[in-house]
Amino acid sequence: MTRKPPRLACFLVRDEVVLGDLIEEYNTYHRSSAWFWKQTWSLLWFTGHAEQPERKRPVNLLSDFWTDFRYTLRTFTKNPGFAVVVILAIALGVGANTTIFTLLNSLALRPLPVPDSRRVVGVYQIFQGHAPRNVNGEVSLFSYSEYQRYRDQNRVFSGLAAYYPFFRATLAGETPRDMSGELATCNYFRVLGVQPVIGRGFADSDCAAPGLAPVVVLSDSAWRSVFASDPSMIGKVITLNRVRLTVIGVAPPGFHGGQISAADFWAPLTLDPLIHEGDSLKGDNLSWLVLAGRLKNGVTLDQARANLSVIAGQIDHLHPGRKTTLSVDVATFMSVPEERQGVLTVAKVIFAAVSLVLLIACANVANLLLSRSSARQKEIAVRVSVGASRGRLVRQLLTESVVLALPGGLLGGMAAALLLKPLFLMLISHLPSEVPPLTLDLSPDLTVLAYTLALTLLTGIVFGLAPALQASRPDLTMALRMEGSGHGAHGSHGWLRSALVVAQVSVCLILLITAGLLARGVQVSQTIEPGFRTDHIFSAKFDLEQQHYNELRAMTFHRLLMERAASLPGVDGVAETVVVPLSMNSWGNQITLPGRPDKLQDRFTLVSPEFFSVLGIPVIHGRNFTQLEIDGNARVAIVMESTARKLWPGQDPLGKTFSDDEKKPPPIEVVGVARDSHASSLSELDSIFFYFPLKADAQVPLKLLVHSKATFEQTAKALRAAVRSIDPNVLVDVRSMDQNLEMYRTPGVLVTELAGALGGFALLLASIGIYSVVSHAVSRRVREIGIRMSLGAERRDVMGLVLRGAMRPVMIGIALGIMACAAVSRVLSGVLYGVSPLDPAAFAGVTLFLAGVALLASYLPARRATRIDPMQALRHD
Amino acid sequence: MPSRAYLGELEQIVLLALIRLGDNAYGVPIRQDIEQRTKRNLSIGALYRTLERLEEKGFVSSRTGDPTPERGGRAKRFFRAEPPGLKALRRTRDALDVMWEGLDLRRI
Repeated sequence: MTRKPPRLACFLVRDEVVLGDLIEEYNTYHRSSAWFWKQTWSLLWFTGHAEQPERKRPVNLLSDFWTDFRYTLRTFTKNPGFAVVVILAIALGVGANTTIFTLLNSLALRPLPVPDSRRVVGVYQIFQGHAPRNVNGEVSLFSYSEYQRYRDQNRVFSGLAAYYPFFRATLAGETPRDMSGELATCNYFRVLGVQPVIGRGFADSDCAAPGLAPVVVLSDSAWRSVFASDPSMIGKVITLNRVRLTVIGVAPPGFHGGQISAADFWAPLTLDPLIHEGDSLKGDNLSWLVLAGRLKNGVTLDQARANLSVIAGQIDHLHPGRKTTLSVDVATFMSVPEERQGVLTVAKVIFAAVSLVLLIACANVANLLLSRSSARQKEIAVRVSVGASRGRLVRQLLTESVVLALPGGLLGGMAAALLLKPLFLMLISHLPSEVPPLTLDLSPDLTVLAYTLALTLLTGIVFGLAPALQASRPDLTMALRMEGSGHGAHGSHGWLRSALVVAQVSVCLILLITAGLLARGVQVSQTIEPGFRTDHIFSAKFDLEQQHYNELRAMTFHRLLMERAASLPGVDGVAETVVVPLSMNSWGNQITLPGRPDKLQDRFTLVSPEFFSVLGIPVIHGRNFTQLEIDGNARVAIVMESTARKLWPGQDPLGKTFSDDEKKPPPIEVVGVARDSHASSLSELDSIFFYFPLKADAQVPLKLLVHSKATFEQTAKALRAAVRSIDPNVLVDVRSMDQNLEMYRTPGVLVTELAGALGGFALLLASIGIYSVVSHAVSRRVREIGIRMSLGAERRDVMGLVLRGAMRPVMIGIALGIMACAAVSRVLSGVLYGVSPLDPAAFAGVTLFLAGVALLASYLPARRATRIDPMQALRHD
Repeated sequence: MPSRAYLGELEQIVLLALIRLGDNAYGVPIRQDIEQRTKRNLSIGALYRTLERLEEKGFVSSRTGDPTPERGGRAKRFFRAEPPGLKALRRTRDALDVMWEGLDLRRI
């Protein structure tokens, strides 16, 4: 009778004879397979280790670790300077990475701040194939009828809620104010598991009869800031977008809805026809609702995906050509696939940059460890000769580097946790005022902790591995004979150390050139002339739509306002437009030229005739619009100078025609040419730009442009008063043109500051690296330099010798860095304001700067070499 | 200089087992013999490691034997104690005897 021994164990026993013994005993003495495994393990252990088998050393990684740990602590307390440098370098690298990760975690990874949040799921649809869609928000959102289908047919959710996020409403009062809220289905609070702390959440009856007794729930922060924590708020009536709503509850503190921008209030979705223009509820093909469901107990995400995709298939069946795939995941602040995509793209770039800094830090520490390990050759040689195996040595050295990395990681993680909040506040203070307040819990959680820990351990292993492998393969006899004072390495680590310097310098150069290019871009952006007057130009926009204005009322409003604004003190010009230049807003269309088959993408705005004089944009050829053309709906246009050159090169553009829509037969005629100005972007001119006459009955959101000699505050106050005198409920947003310019300039400044800071870190780390390599090289060559000097070499020669050796890897690093940077800098072109991604000033300036710093970092230790006393050096073992 | 070296405890035990077993000294019986007499566990890894060390020192020689079915058709490796091994055993024994002479553990 022969039994089959464990196959894997047999595979592990490499010696056929021994395996024969094992199998024979297994069969003849009926041993268990546990026994077989134990024997196999003993074979692996004894062949893997050089210890005396009699000593039968137990396998105990933990006790090894403690031994190494204590040994490491002893070593480093003896040499604290070294440990401090290493810890700081790691803290810098890990800190930068953790900061970015914490931000990303809070944005896109952390589930919503609601009870049992892992079971709250966000659902989005991704369309393939032919699916024309009306969109209010993102295309991946749902229509109300789609929501109803998912709500009624799914078998995986205990409840599925829908809400319309980012709903802007005007709160009526002494001074009307802008609020941002969510229109939600009445199961919203139940699904999210959020219970209002004061009053109640929605009841189903609140959604049943939309017109009757409409209700609203306030957020805690809105209750505190807008209503001064009024304890008797429940039951009071507030007016939002002219609809009177009874306050029924205040949400718990810290709950701001399902999106990153904070919601101030929640109203039932069925109120939509009253409070919001249009009839979104009936739009079967309108993307506007976010879906959030709570999984039933025991239902997994995969089951939910399967069940919901069946429903998606049924809906697709009703819309031929449409193919929907669903994105079903634990809901976070950044669940919407489009937003997620955008955030992740930016995050990738930033991560790449901070990882480079960490890499430099690792290379630095590796370098320091290498110089230490060559000084420790003797210690290691002794260990090997008394029987330490290579594996055991590598483990010891890695323990050392991990022990060094841990406090560094701890420090970096703590710095990140402390600095992130002020950093984030600084960042969002630069955002334009239209962006609603963001709520982000930036405190680190377990995910961040795990990330930092993993990163730290990885760092320890990365910077420790190369030196450990190098050090554990010493030339025993050489090292033992050497009186080991650090110069015994025979240059065996030389190439590795040089390679590390090359890597550091090239990575550092990439970061610095990036910073340099961005700085050049910012410099240029400050001097770009937008092509129109910006000082003392103020724009005002109004929330007429939220106030349910119809066409006629809007017209009256604007006529009155134009008159009153023009008579304000200091005001000497008033114009109207639909797009305020450089307001991050643009309108576009497709046009065709007679005789040309292709469609061209243009950008355009509608303006009143005063527009050109108020903004100081001269009409250099032809004429301005006439009142007749404004009133008569004339199909005429004024083109931008560069557009005219592009569309009709070498010809007179006046009288030329184009059409914007084949169905509207009379083509549009060019009547004037205006000087170039930046309308949609400060970094580049629009390639094709037209001005069309603004018809008085235009159903468009008009903006007022005012030139006033008064200050911004005075003008804003006067304009608000003028609006209030016409309709006290209309909210007016006044901005100065300089603020618009700032909006374009700040992102560049921020990115430049970030890149500059990272580049600065990198430079600091790289200089430390170069310094340590050169000073190590000098101490290794004391004797050689002594001989040279006693044979007549001048101090200058010695300096040259050391510097040449030091600068060789630096130069190689610079060459590699320039090549790499030239290859990747094109991705920056969007923020460079016309500076070439290969801008010679940035490349040459930064390269010279880096070379200078590298020279200084090598000069300091090289000076030591010239002070060597030849007599002492020769006696130096 | 191996000729002057003494043997470790396990080396002595293994060498003695080889002498006892004579022509039948291969892995399985060696381990059985040692485990039964000394009442202590000896893993196959430790055994082979010791045998290899003894062979390196020239105290033991080995030859490959015939395969048998209960071994899954694998060959046996027979070990034999060589004269230098016997000499080292004797030297170790003598050294221990000298050190033990006149001592009685029960009275210490």
